[in-house]
Amino acid sequence: MSGDAYEILALLMRYVFAVIGALIVFRSFIWLRKDARAYRKEMRSLPDAGLIGEMVDLDTGKAQPLPREGVIGSSRECDIRVKGDGVLRRHVRFEFVDGKGLKLIPARRGLTLLNGVEMRGPGWALHGTQLGIGAHALRVRMFAGLNVPMPAAYPEPDTILDAADEEIPWTNITVENSYYLPEEQPADAVPFGGNPDYDGNYDDDGQMTWQYAYSMEDLRQEQAARQWIDSQEDAEEPEPRSRRKRRGRRE
Amino acid sequence: MSEKKKKRAHEPGRNTLLAMMAFFFLAFFLLALNDGKWESFALSAVVPAIIYLGTAGISHLFPSDRLLLSLTNFLCALGVLVLYRLSPTRGMTQAFNYGVGVGCMMLCAMLVRYVRSWKWLTALIMLGSIGLLALPLVIGKETNGAKNWFYIGSYSVQPSEIVKLALLISVSYLLSQRKVFLSLVFAGACLLMLMLQKDLGTALLYFGVTFILLYAATGSVPLMIGGVAGGAAAAVLGYQMFAHVKKRVAIWLNPWADSGGAGYQIVQSLIAIVNGGAWGVGLGLGNAQVIPEYYNDFIFSVILHEFGLVFGLVVLCMYLFIIIRGVMIARRCRTVFHALLATGCASLIALQTFVIIGGNIKLIPLTGVTLPFISYGGTSMLCSLCVIGLLQGVASRNKAGVKEDRELAMQGGEAP
Repeated sequence: MSGDAYEILALLMRYVFAVIGALIVFRSFIWLRKDARAYRKEMRSLPDAGLIGEMVDLDTGKAQPLPREGVIGSSRECDIRVKGDGVLRRHVRFEFVDGKGLKLIPARRGLTLLNGVEMRGPGWALHGTQLGIGAHALRVRMFAGLNVPMPAAYPEPDTILDAADEEIPWTNITVENSYYLPEEQPADAVPFGGNPDYDGNYDDDGQMTWQYAYSMEDLRQEQAARQWIDSQEDAEEPEPRSRRKRRGRRE
Repeated sequence: MSEKKKKRAHEPGRNTLLAMMAFFFLAFFLLALNDGKWESFALSAVVPAIIYLGTAGISHLFPSDRLLLSLTNFLCALGVLVLYRLSPTRGMTQAFNYGVGVGCMMLCAMLVRYVRSWKWLTALIMLGSIGLLALPLVIGKETNGAKNWFYIGSYSVQPSEIVKLALLISVSYLLSQRKVFLSLVFAGACLLMLMLQKDLGTALLYFGVTFILLYAATGSVPLMIGGVAGGAAAAVLGYQMFAHVKKRVAIWLNPWADSGGAGYQIVQSLIAIVNGGAWGVGLGLGNAQVIPEYYNDFIFSVILHEFGLVFGLVVLCMYLFIIIRGVMIARRCRTVFHALLATGCASLIALQTFVIIGGNIKLIPLTGVTLPFISYGGTSMLCSLCVIGLLQGVASRNKAGVKEDRELAMQGGEAP
């Protein structure tokens, strides 16, 4: 191509290049915006995105969302904030490890209780694990479907309060004298799967006691009741595949 | 038309990719018409094909961020185009670097995607980084006042470019573990090494990235004030200690005082930019070779000269989108480490682009850093693409996280 012809062509093409460049920028902007919108929409449909459960304060009943990793402490920047005496600014660091559970790394030894046992190093929490931080008792509640080991049906005997043999009236249980607070239920509740034949363990005033809640015999009964419920669920006829598919699509 | 095809036709990425391919086909074809070389004709087909494969192909193989990939590919291909136009040998070398860089990018993406524990890897990286930075002091060669290169056979290596990645990973990991002091010690050691090498441009980048990461991780105002004070003190100290820094500041203040000598580079750069005007002088019609280091430090001036100010703004917008995308990826992270890593990557690209473009247009004193993805240089290209690889890895982790969240939401409720 002759020099003059090329010059004319190159001079024309510079506008073409600028236009294509502007077009690319415009399309990229649209792309960026569409993606941001789609993500926002997706996040609206997944309000628990990025969370693995919640941490419930057993005194107040207040639940705080539990992210995959973060810090529990009194500082404003903490992911789980608990205030009060004996709570450090950054008390425990936690990190969810797939297949293992929630790894807890306390800032100082002996200031945190994991299921009633003083933590002297990193420890693992599962669904239902109770943490004692200062005067607070926190329970870990994890979402179903997470790849974590199943928690034991009941706590190991040696992690239960040393004074478990002592009968503490239900009404007298405080954070200080308990490591495991029983599930919230009325004093006259019929325990374990509504077995009316089970008379429970009550004190002289007819109040449910600590011993009742966590005696080994009761826990064995609880486990048996759970196994029975599981076996009933297993025995149920499975939903047909086509119906399951339709339901999944609707969801 | 089937539903799937309709959806694909309305995909914004598809049109963007087509526009990018058209741009490079036309540009290389135009060059081929001028020089009549078969290599130019071949490139007019090969470069668009690489852009397509590098964007659509990679995103099919690996769950990555397509927008980030396409913008990066465009800038890399633009670098190849500009270099090929000015010096075909350099253009072909850059194309080779680009190919190797894409491989490294994938490697980094997979590293971030699949490595679960960074504890020992980070320790190894930190030790390796200090060793690498010490090498130019022992076996290095001084270039432009800085002793930051060493040679392995005919290959030149700039360790400070590689250590950039190490700094990003190490500081992000340490800060995610709340080891603020250790991260400061490591960053300080790297900065000290760079000061000894007199590589102050890279030192500025290291400082900036560490500062941003520190703020992102702690949000501590006293620490920030200390950082600013320390940075200012180091700048004054650097100015007093190094003669070439004084010279560069003097050139920046008034390049016309010695336009034929020390200020020649910046004066030629400014003349080239002004000559280009809004639309440029036309591809292949410019005379940008008169600028010293046109292929490296002043490549943005070359783009402004041949393609014009309007296209220069287009390039700036692309950098801006890459940075915005990096920040978006950081905000979507599930873990602190990945969030910090993505923030560091975005801030590194932002700082590096600002420092070199600012130097080219005489906004700030010129420092010897490269324009990411475009400047000539194997180490620079590899490092820039590795940074994008780290971002891609984090983006991929985010996608996996969203998928997991969706599955959890389907299961619903608490664990039994």
